[in-house]
Amino acid sequence: MDTKDEEKVPLFKNWNYWYALVIGFLIVLIIFLDFFTKHFS
Amino acid sequence: MSRPDWIVLVVTLVGIIVYGLFKSRTSKNLDGYFLGDRSVPWYIVLLSIMGTQASAVTFLSAPGQAYTDGMRFVQYYFGLPIAMVVLCITFVPVFRRLKIYTAYEFLEKRFDVKTRTLTSFLFLVQRGLSTGISISAPSIILSSLLGWDILWTNVFMGGLLVVYTVTGGAKAVAYTQQLQLIVVFAGMFMAGYMVVHLLPQDVGFFDALHVGGKAGKLNVITTGFKENGFSWNDRYNLLSGVIGGFFLALSYFGTDQSQVGRYLTAKSESESRLGLLMNGLVKVPMQFLILLLGVLVFAFYKYHKEPVFFNQSQLKVLENSKYKDSLSLLKDEYDKTEILKMKEMGLIATVGKNSDGYKEAQSILQSVENRKESMRGTIKRWLNDKEVNGDSNDTNYIFLRFVVDYLPKGLVGLLIAVIFLAAWGSIAAALNSLASATIVDFHKRFSKKELSPEKEYVLSKWYTLLWGIFCVIVAQLAYNIGNSLIEAVNVLGSLFYGVILGVFLVAFYMKKISGNAVFISAVIIELLVIAIHVLNQKGIVNLSFLWLNVVGAVGVVLLSWALNLVLLKPVYNKSGQ
Repeated sequence: MDTKDEEKVPLFKNWNYWYALVIGFLIVLIIFLDFFTKHFS
Repeated sequence: MSRPDWIVLVVTLVGIIVYGLFKSRTSKNLDGYFLGDRSVPWYIVLLSIMGTQASAVTFLSAPGQAYTDGMRFVQYYFGLPIAMVVLCITFVPVFRRLKIYTAYEFLEKRFDVKTRTLTSFLFLVQRGLSTGISISAPSIILSSLLGWDILWTNVFMGGLLVVYTVTGGAKAVAYTQQLQLIVVFAGMFMAGYMVVHLLPQDVGFFDALHVGGKAGKLNVITTGFKENGFSWNDRYNLLSGVIGGFFLALSYFGTDQSQVGRYLTAKSESESRLGLLMNGLVKVPMQFLILLLGVLVFAFYKYHKEPVFFNQSQLKVLENSKYKDSLSLLKDEYDKTEILKMKEMGLIATVGKNSDGYKEAQSILQSVENRKESMRGTIKRWLNDKEVNGDSNDTNYIFLRFVVDYLPKGLVGLLIAVIFLAAWGSIAAALNSLASATIVDFHKRFSKKELSPEKEYVLSKWYTLLWGIFCVIVAQLAYNIGNSLIEAVNVLGSLFYGVILGVFLVAFYMKKISGNAVFISAVIIELLVIAIHVLNQKGIVNLSFLWLNVVGAVGVVLLSWALNLVLLKPVYNKSGQ
């Protein structure tokens, strides 16, 4: 089933953008959760 | 349980089994049975990965954990998104290109048969026992809470799913996990809505968060640094979550066949990657919300009577012990404390924050909480008495106690169904992966007879059935032996994961290391990890279990490199790698 379609990256030009999105989202999430912790403590 | 609850429970469970059977059609060979003909789209892969990781205990234990210890447990998942990225870059392309059925097949191609056999064997032992515990843990809770017979609860928890798992293999597992997770999320969302709805009229969602925050339950981010520096035995903090959690997630998703088998079912490499990356995006928010539910339940019990101990069967144990009279006195005193608590909480809601009445009520509440904590401590001490031999941990009972006591008819049945479905999702994937490792890494690998695809297909079904029976037996044994076995099996995973990951890291990143060097290193580091664990148990060292994964993985990488350099002459395999 592995065809040329493998090379097609959804939404972005290549997978690096996806990796950056996942790591970037994690960083934003940690900052948000830190703010959340401080706000309600 | 009421009749509507039973109807909801039975209809949901039977519906899932029928759906699983409906989705059972696959090619009658190993590709069809273990990889769903590599035809599954990314969103099913995503739900399958999530359904495999989230067991019943995830949904029972996490709210209870937030209730008692706060939300810092979420940090345990911070390393997971990073691990998903590393998997997509390294593991997925290799596994897909080699068209393997199990992760351990790759180790024979890279090293030798003994490394493959060792890692596959460790997987079978660890996963077989832990799947038994996955059946036993929620069964014990349900049977204790609802008075069900433990043997039949184990049989229903671990046996019914065997029907569609044996018949349909990986494809049926993946598609039922999709439906199971939809029901699980719907049930948890309704429970969350009901907690807020059941709060007093003038107390809203954000007020509940402030109540939780003031009690230190919204401690999502903690640094792990104390007066004397970084605390290495602190289980959940930012550093252990990112680093330890990364190694744990990489070993679990990259080397545990129960997960590898899920993303190998994807119809292309892109779909495998997308499923894993989406898991990296949604996992932390999902855990955050499950834990938040625990904080809301905590706030709820500030306005309602909180049980002195959530596992009421253990109170009955005390009632039949020498502590019977003391317990009765303690309960009376506890009830008075609860009445005072609810009175002061009502006062706080009506007076201004800067008034003297507010400050006085806060001070009374603090002393009430201290008193309650002391009484709970006394009960735990009694349960730990060797003569009583009770279970002093009631964390897993907190959420279900709330469900059974306060949720309306029908919804209780749905939430009990959620526990079954969450368990089925992870157990079905485990049985499928246990059968695939058994037939691919052992039966087929060492059999002198050439098996036809049809014969392999039939044998795979038999192995799935046999593993199902084995796991139900382990679940029943776990109940008979008690907590000691559950704890031992939980530790077992942490002891082996790091070393297995180390072997895979060497295989992927250190092309010149030979099979002998990595095999010897794995054995030595495994002994080291076990030694650290023993020293930990004796209190000689203080290291949280997450760090054992780091020690195992980094240890194997460094020692393999050193052994290869100093002691052993590099040996290359047939393919010249």
